[in-house]
Amino acid sequence: MDMTKKTRELVSALCDGEIPDVDRELALAALDGDDGRQAWDLYHQIGDALRAGEALRVGRAPDLPPGFAQRLAARLDAELFPDRCGSGTTGAAADAAPQLGRVAARQG
Amino acid sequence: MTTERECDQLLVERVQAGDRRAFDLLVAKYQRRLMRLVSRLVHDPAEAEDVVQETFIKAFRALRHFRGESAFYTWLYRIGINTAKNFLVTQGRRAPTSTENDAERAEGFDDADSLRDINTPESVLASKQIAYTVNAAMEALPLELRTAIVLREIEGLSYEEISEVMSCPIGTVRSRIFRAREVIAEKLRPLLEVSADKRR
Repeated sequence: MDMTKKTRELVSALCDGEIPDVDRELALAALDGDDGRQAWDLYHQIGDALRAGEALRVGRAPDLPPGFAQRLAARLDAELFPDRCGSGTTGAAADAAPQLGRVAARQG
Repeated sequence: MTTERECDQLLVERVQAGDRRAFDLLVAKYQRRLMRLVSRLVHDPAEAEDVVQETFIKAFRALRHFRGESAFYTWLYRIGINTAKNFLVTQGRRAPTSTENDAERAEGFDDADSLRDINTPESVLASKQIAYTVNAAMEALPLELRTAIVLREIEGLSYEEISEVMSCPIGTVRSRIFRAREVIAEKLRPLLEVSADKRR
């Protein structure tokens, strides 16, 4: 097994909460790389799709709308780290992301 | 052995130490489960998305207070339920009163009829394509790989329990689940790349 595959196998076990202590640091380090992060995202998406089962296949299960991750990432980018300031937000963040901003914008 | 809860806690500690990307990993893990939970309470898809986004933002801001006394996901679900309730109240709508078990019930789809109006046509199509692809890939898997991933992802068995059921070592279980995921991921990847391109 090549190293990349080995790394993804560790990520797979990490997703399941089944990583042996001896491999833990290696598995967490894998999440710092693109390959490990993509594997983490995909494996969770597969698990969610399998659990959703028939409801997802017939379009009855709620799912994330397209672009959800990008919109959330943009909002998180505007946040300061909570341990670095009292409120955990910047003025810019508060301005750019008011309470339930997308609906508010739509209604406005 | 590092359990799932401990793994989440390790990621939380990374975020607390200043690693934003660790929070992205928690988002990737819980975003769909949280959407399912919130969609039970807030039925408009745009509003449900806003509530989910707000939940993650609130969790991010409050993470410095999180000490791991409860599991991260129960803490996150609690924020999600409270955010949904507050949203419904501010919209002048009645907040559901029986949400105590929603975190657990959100994992199932027994009352999926009530969710029919949740999705936009675009997200329905994307979800269906993903579901069909995952299902087709599952059907094509060798039996031992299919059995292992079903026992893990659908039945929720631990590796040790699966090793007993399948009469094989835990290392084999780990390898079979990984190989199953790899085969399914290979089929899913082009679909997700197309979805990402459409958003650009």
